[in-house]
Amino acid sequence: MVDFGTAELTLEMIQASQVGLKAVGAGLAVGLTGIGTGVAEMGIGAAAVGATAENKDMFGLALLFTVIPETIVIFGLVVALLLLF
Amino acid sequence: MAEISSGSAQYIYVCTRMRVRRSQLIPREDYLRMLNMSLPEITRFIEDTGYKSEIDELATAFSGIDLVEVALSWNLAKEYQSILAITPGELMRFTASYLRRWDIQNVLTILRGKTQGMPAGKIREVLIPAGALDRVFLDRMLAEDSPERVVEALKGMRLYPVLEREFPRALETGSFARLENELYKGYYERLLAETKGGVKGGRVFKGYVQLEIDIRNIQNLFRLRAQPTLEDVREMMIPGGSFTVDELQRLSTAESRDEFIDGVKKQVTLPPLLNVLEDLRSERPIHEVEIALTRVQLEQMDRVSKRYPFSITPILVYLEQKKYEVANLRALARGKEAGLPGERIRSYLVM
Repeated sequence: MVDFGTAELTLEMIQASQVGLKAVGAGLAVGLTGIGTGVAEMGIGAAAVGATAENKDMFGLALLFTVIPETIVIFGLVVALLLLF
Repeated sequence: MAEISSGSAQYIYVCTRMRVRRSQLIPREDYLRMLNMSLPEITRFIEDTGYKSEIDELATAFSGIDLVEVALSWNLAKEYQSILAITPGELMRFTASYLRRWDIQNVLTILRGKTQGMPAGKIREVLIPAGALDRVFLDRMLAEDSPERVVEALKGMRLYPVLEREFPRALETGSFARLENELYKGYYERLLAETKGGVKGGRVFKGYVQLEIDIRNIQNLFRLRAQPTLEDVREMMIPGGSFTVDELQRLSTAESRDEFIDGVKKQVTLPPLLNVLEDLRSERPIHEVEIALTRVQLEQMDRVSKRYPFSITPILVYLEQKKYEVANLRALARGKEAGLPGERIRSYLVM
């Protein structure tokens, strides 16, 4: 066991915790944007299914509108990748 | 969280479907074009819109005006039933309550037909099974041999207490008017009570029902002015709107049309309705008055539905607009059949 109260932080320890926090940040970036995308797609998806049920021609356009909030999660992914590499 | 979000998704789904369906209703220009067509042309025209399957299905059994009439009723019933099938939970309860008026209409049609000794097949043609009583139940009622038995068959239903109370009197006097008034009063009372349940959209729904009651009362007052009656006015008025029954009765005794309209205007706050009332100061035929008021009602409902895009209102607006589309087509077809000039028919259309 290391006694954190008295032990001196070595350079290796600091570097290791930085890598760890970066990984947590990357995880949060993808996870939270994923939730945001989900919430945004909920309404659009419901409307898209409704419109497609009435009019089959709407399918392509409806699908396009539904995936537009995907950009949010892609931003999150980009940020995560920037953090990690 | 899960419940809230899935709830709003359901609203969005249904309201979008209603919006798409509304955009497929017959537009004003098409009505104007239809005014210049003959009956077979109109039949073909509506076959190209949303009524194809009904017209195809019924074409072997009916022809001419009957074909149009029956196809319209069938389509309306099918449309309403399909809406009930796609609306979930709370919305479905409201919608079903709103559609209960068709039950009243169907029950009264059957009772009237039975007392006049019409054959069951003939009565069935004019039924519109759009409410809680479905085709099977209505058929069972039609199979009963006397009006009393028909009333008995409804035992346990919401309509039964009023029917039981008023029906003997209706038979005695030979007039169903009072029974009909009572049934509709019960219907509106029930509808208003349901809005108080504290559910989402209840407040909007209540405003909507009250507007309908107000318009109906004002229409009735105009009708009474056109054709004074000796009966008690109180019994004909629907309570629950922004007028009390006493106020309505006072209005019905107004001497001149101006005085009457001023009285109504004091209570009404809706700007479009005020404008129309101002317009109605000059003497107009009663059907024009009614159509002007109906149009205000539809426009106002449309406006409310835009303010609350994901609530019960878009559904109700569609139900109403569909009802008037069918009424318009029926008026057109009947008018053409009777050889009325286009201008005359036009004044009966709500568009």
